[in-house]
Amino acid sequence: MNIIEQFTPLFAPKTVAVIGASTKGNALPNVFIRRIREFGFSGDIYPIHPAADEIDGLTAYKSLADTPKPVDYAYIAVSGAQIPGMLAAAKGHVRFAQVISSGFGEVDEGKALQEELAQAARAGGMRLLGPNCLGIYTPRGRVTFAEIGPKEVGHVGIVSQSGGLGTDIIRRGLSRGVKFSGLVTVGNCADVTPSDLLEFYLADPQTKVIGMYIETAKDGRRLFDILRHAKAAKPVVILKGGRTRQGLAAAASHTGSLAGDDRVWVALARQTGCMLVDTLDHFIDTLLIFQTLTPRPQRPTQKVVLFGNGGGTSVLATDYFARLDLDVTPFDQGPIDALAALKLPPGTSITNPVDCPVGTLQQDDGRVAEKILDIICGQGKPEALVMHLNLSAFVGRTKPEVLDNLVAAAMRVQEKYPGQSHFILVLRSDGEPVLEARKREFRDKAVALGVPVYDEMANAGHPLAALAAFERYRAARA
Amino acid sequence: MTKKQMDTGDILSSARAAGRNSLDESAGKALLAGHGIRVPQSRVAKGVAEVDAVMSGLQTPVVVKVMSPDILHKSDAGGVKINLRSAAEVKAAIEGMLAAPKIRGARIDGFLVEEMAPAGHELVIGGLRDPQFGPLVMVGLGGIFVEIFKDVSFRLCPIARIDAEEMLDELKAAAILKGARGGKPASREAIIDVLLKVGGENGLLMQHAAVISEADINPLIVSDTAAVAVDARFILG
Repeated sequence: MNIIEQFTPLFAPKTVAVIGASTKGNALPNVFIRRIREFGFSGDIYPIHPAADEIDGLTAYKSLADTPKPVDYAYIAVSGAQIPGMLAAAKGHVRFAQVISSGFGEVDEGKALQEELAQAARAGGMRLLGPNCLGIYTPRGRVTFAEIGPKEVGHVGIVSQSGGLGTDIIRRGLSRGVKFSGLVTVGNCADVTPSDLLEFYLADPQTKVIGMYIETAKDGRRLFDILRHAKAAKPVVILKGGRTRQGLAAAASHTGSLAGDDRVWVALARQTGCMLVDTLDHFIDTLLIFQTLTPRPQRPTQKVVLFGNGGGTSVLATDYFARLDLDVTPFDQGPIDALAALKLPPGTSITNPVDCPVGTLQQDDGRVAEKILDIICGQGKPEALVMHLNLSAFVGRTKPEVLDNLVAAAMRVQEKYPGQSHFILVLRSDGEPVLEARKREFRDKAVALGVPVYDEMANAGHPLAALAAFERYRAARA
Repeated sequence: MTKKQMDTGDILSSARAAGRNSLDESAGKALLAGHGIRVPQSRVAKGVAEVDAVMSGLQTPVVVKVMSPDILHKSDAGGVKINLRSAAEVKAAIEGMLAAPKIRGARIDGFLVEEMAPAGHELVIGGLRDPQFGPLVMVGLGGIFVEIFKDVSFRLCPIARIDAEEMLDELKAAAILKGARGGKPASREAIIDVLLKVGGENGLLMQHAAVISEADINPLIVSDTAAVAVDARFILG
């Protein structure tokens, strides 16, 4: 059985069993039943209960082995000690069991119980997710543990060793326009590890980008081997917790004393082309750029043009991008002459960064901006174009459709020079609620068009540098 | 399994069988030589009486190093004497060592008499077995670059040639190896060759991952044409 076939019952289950739902309807598993129904799950749901005949209007069964059809996915949230017996009794009737309950390997007194749990899962003939996790979010299977999350099936596949962070990833992703092909929380990884899910996502045609939150990689060598053999076929973004805390075992040699845990992860990234990030924001930002833009190894990103309103912002961004090894260098004479010929109003800088006051940007409903963009892409030929708009400066001075006009202009120029410049939009605002609402609405539209949108220049810089690094890796190793 | 692999495996298994948790210098160098890494010509003298015989096969100048399972830092103990030009000088050096306070009480297996490597850049190439990721290989420039600046780069084994190239390129001191400030360049080819023999697909660390927990080749002396492993430590376990 190939990896896709192995994991299909998890990502698109036809039958779901739930252990821990109460007849009073108020336990976490009852909430789970409600959520997957609301999310549109159309398969069979089997509550498992020792006494009840019915839970939440569904026929209940005594054990995992008693359900009418085999169970693709079992969601288990009862006290830990009784779970091993339940799994062992399943006798090959269950494909995946996810144990939400805690009190296992994350505490000293639970280590033996976790071992017992893993053995019971093997004896019961199933794969085990968790324990100590929150669940799965799989829009293709209409199953979710999360309160909110887009129903649309996206292209970003996530595995998280933290359940809470998994929720954050879904919520922030939702607000940023990141759409997921799946998100699995794996907790203590008694059986299924992040490497298993990585293997699935690499093979899964629905997944274009992979994100992993990892705290400990017990099977680090396997993770390395999978990444190494994948040859960066898909971008893999790793948010690693505990990079500074964990040292290696006390070492007697020079080499040993120089090797902090972090060195291993840096080495892993350099060798396999995966990308290491330090914060949740960088993680989401980086996933977003790979969701929306297609890497171009044949022309790795180096030269970047900044175009927008805000002189100081342009200068600061130029410095920031330079520190990330991105070039924001002035144009050659050709594009400068062409821009000068447009006779733009005073206060417009045309060398790169191209700094335009709002007045220039809104001229002729954005048609002047289109001419500028045409010269930037057609003659300046940067690998990336970052358009930044300070929304505060637009308020009250422009018609609402100016923003749409500007992005539409940029999209037309993109079409005219296909494959020329990655297009990134930065929408800056001051947190004022009206502006934020407008930004949000506009961001959704832009991301839907395949344009990644960031809040500030620095937030755009990191993912762009990651894209550049990924393109260079592919170029050097193809 | 090739003959070479069997030989290097024997070196490790006999050290283990003798209850050692590290390789002595001459065994370490034999291991390196077995993997095609250049080491200086050397012979072992059990004591002063064997010096004349040992010296007849070597070119001067030579260095003498004490061999003892009790002494981990030979230089600190006064167990290394360099630039010796005759059998008489070698004998005097050994007698001096035998009288040194930190050597006197130690178990002594003999004295390694070794041709001195030609001048060149001092590098360190190391290895380490990570409990989760398995063998890692490291490279850096010797002396203050490693000790103070910790200017080293690591990779997971096995490395490919491009990894070895990138390891060298990411050192802050990379320009020094290319001959910055009027210095002689170090042979990049020779360094990459050693890195691959240590950390590559069929390299020393991959082959013996189960036995070697840590390794230091320090220094690896690299001239503009060749790299010679002048000292090596292997910790087993």
